Amino acid sequence: MPDDLQEFTRQAREFLDAHASRAAERAAFRWGEGDDRVAYFGADPPEVEERKLRAARDWQRTRYTSGFGWISGPPEYGGRGLTPVHELVYDGIESEYDIPDTGTLSVIGLGMIGPTILAHGQQSVRDSYLPAMYRGDVIACQLFSEPEAGSDLASLQTRAVAREGSWILDGQKVWTSVAQHSQIGMALCRTDPDAPKHRGITAFLVDMSSPGVDVRPLRQMSGGSDFNEVFLTGVRVPDDHRLGEVNGGWRVALTTLMNERAAVGSEGSGPVAEALSPERLSALMRATWTWDDRAVRRDLSELLAGVMATAHLNARAFRRMQAGVAPGPEMSVAKLMYAQNLTRAAHFVSHVLGPRIIADTGEWGTYAWAELLLATPALRILGGTEEIMKNILAERVLGLPREPGIDTTSPFRELPRSGATS
Amino acid sequence: MNDGREELDDLREAVREFLAAKSPESAVRAASQAGYDPAVWDQMARQLRLSGLALPGHYGGDGFGLTELEVVLEEMGAALLCSPFFATAVLAAQALLASADEAACARYLPGIAAGQVTATLAAAEANASWDPAMVTARAERTPDGWVLTGKKSFVLDGATADLLLVVARSTAGPGLFAVDRGAPGLRAEPMTTLDPTRPMAVLTFDRVPAVLVGAEGQAGRLMTRVLDLACVALAAEQAGGARRCLEMSAGYARTRYQFGRPIGAFQAVKHKCADMLVRVELAEATAREAARLADEGAPDFPVAAATAHITCSQAYTFAAAENIQVHGGIGFTWEHTAHLYFRRAKSSELLFGGPAVCHERLLDRLGI
Repeated sequence: MPDDLQEFTRQAREFLDAHASRAAERAAFRWGEGDDRVAYFGADPPEVEERKLRAARDWQRTRYTSGFGWISGPPEYGGRGLTPVHELVYDGIESEYDIPDTGTLSVIGLGMIGPTILAHGQQSVRDSYLPAMYRGDVIACQLFSEPEAGSDLASLQTRAVAREGSWILDGQKVWTSVAQHSQIGMALCRTDPDAPKHRGITAFLVDMSSPGVDVRPLRQMSGGSDFNEVFLTGVRVPDDHRLGEVNGGWRVALTTLMNERAAVGSEGSGPVAEALSPERLSALMRATWTWDDRAVRRDLSELLAGVMATAHLNARAFRRMQAGVAPGPEMSVAKLMYAQNLTRAAHFVSHVLGPRIIADTGEWGTYAWAELLLATPALRILGGTEEIMKNILAERVLGLPREPGIDTTSPFRELPRSGATS
Repeated sequence: MNDGREELDDLREAVREFLAAKSPESAVRAASQAGYDPAVWDQMARQLRLSGLALPGHYGGDGFGLTELEVVLEEMGAALLCSPFFATAVLAAQALLASADEAACARYLPGIAAGQVTATLAAAEANASWDPAMVTARAERTPDGWVLTGKKSFVLDGATADLLLVVARSTAGPGLFAVDRGAPGLRAEPMTTLDPTRPMAVLTFDRVPAVLVGAEGQAGRLMTRVLDLACVALAAEQAGGARRCLEMSAGYARTRYQFGRPIGAFQAVKHKCADMLVRVELAEATAREAARLADEGAPDFPVAAATAHITCSQAYTFAAAENIQVHGGIGFTWEHTAHLYFRRAKSSELLFGGPAVCHERLLDRLGI
């Protein structure tokens, strides 16, 4: 490890020791003790959610004032001016401490939109938002997907029309995480329907408190509401809140999405990961008298081998990044595997539980798994469907040709859409 | 490629170049018929110093670890090299080292390191189990020393190895014994194998003089260690072979035209290749992590070894089968290399017992 990293590590530990306590050794798992919830999505009651959000903001502010809020960011916007490797090192050390989960701020806002504003924002926007975001004051959401633009994001229809030095936005966004907590949203809008679909999009930063912005919770199949629909009706956005060139929004979006893959693939801890530990699953098998069932044991081994192989892939990617090697396809592979492992685990547990996962007997650690089971279909869709991820791997990594017949040259308004009669 | 360690890239490059010259498909097919080429074995030992790469310096080796050996084995697996390397440098050498018998190591390892001796490990019998508890071959102490009686099967390179390390049972339990190829009472017969690139033999022992290696009755623990290491070494070969199958498929999908376009433009083919890529990435990661953990002496090495064995076995079998599917009719011909990989993949998957035992091995290493 180079000297400056050693010194940085020392500073990070000093900071964390002063402001947080080390995570207690996880008590040995005992069947029937503690919380049996196995949740992928949050879905806390509102007062709990409010409390967690406040704690997350406070912790981000503490990080920021001590120089760990934006480690790789430029100093003129409150960053530390260090490298992504320093960022990785800090994250590794911080995970040893008990600190509030800052995901609501960091996954989308600080992880994806911050870097986008830095790369494509105008000076005034960078000045006013970047320090505020990394200080924990401003939360950002991503206004990308639409009912008619899922995997094919570039076919989005939300319109932005220039009027008197501003833009007027009209349309509907969907699957927007953290919109209910956000002060700003990054919106992709159609600004030239006569251009080919990728060349008529512009990106904007929308003040979420503007008149005409309507955030409505979207109830997902698992019962909770972790996402929103956002309706934009005559929303006025000043031109200095435009990101990138007019009709150059696709490039801006790619900056954001590049950072998304890095963020999603690195999930690997938390309550769900704990639920998939060998000790937890073998305790479940003992409790259900399936302990010595050869078929169940075989399924367990297959499941655990997949989980551990994915962990090894992540460990290797982490080491390579630390050594300054450009990341390979590990992140995309890890994302696919994460979805596959969790899905497989939920179904494995359901087979072990049998009828106890279709009706609640009140027994600890049984029906509680239904929550994870009902969340797993999302994992193969969010952040890029499995099918799109495989296309990307095949085309970018293996060099296979693109699907023919995808029209990237005709004007957007001439492209066929769902529900249109020919 | 390798966690930013340039010396590993250099090693990989050197081995790859060597194998491209010495083990092209034509050589693999020739060796499948006539056995391995001793000249290539000799060059591997002398020019590249591969036989002693992972052996300690005081036994004539270069003192590197499993991490370096892993790189070499990936390339050998990719090239389908026909060689007693796995049997000699992995199975036999690791069994000697695991025995902690310094006299035996000093006697046998320098010859292995110098490439003068090929060796193998004879553990399994007709029931194909590598579990020392299942061993029936007997070791008997006589006034002139130990003699072995019984039969060993599935012995890699068993018909050609100069030195045989044999697991046999004495009154103290299963132990490890060394036997020279020319020993009286020993008969070796080649087996017909699914994979012609990896010869196996049946060895019959009729009161064959042998030397005890390590302590009497200690082969149980020793074999646990050797199997963990052998699984990781095999995993490296499997990862290399799977990567080569993926490269063949992707290359073919880019250039083979049907319906007026490269077949790789069809999503059905594209996704098949992406699935292979996912498995290959996982295979490499598990094989390399397990090797790293072995070198660090990490307590979770046995779990990592079992994980690598399962992951790489599945990846290679999957990639070898899908490679034939991507190639279509041409992939099913004798002339095409695809079947050689399919044969190697299946034979590697099942060599140490296959799914019937490897899943219980993982759960055992996890303490479940």
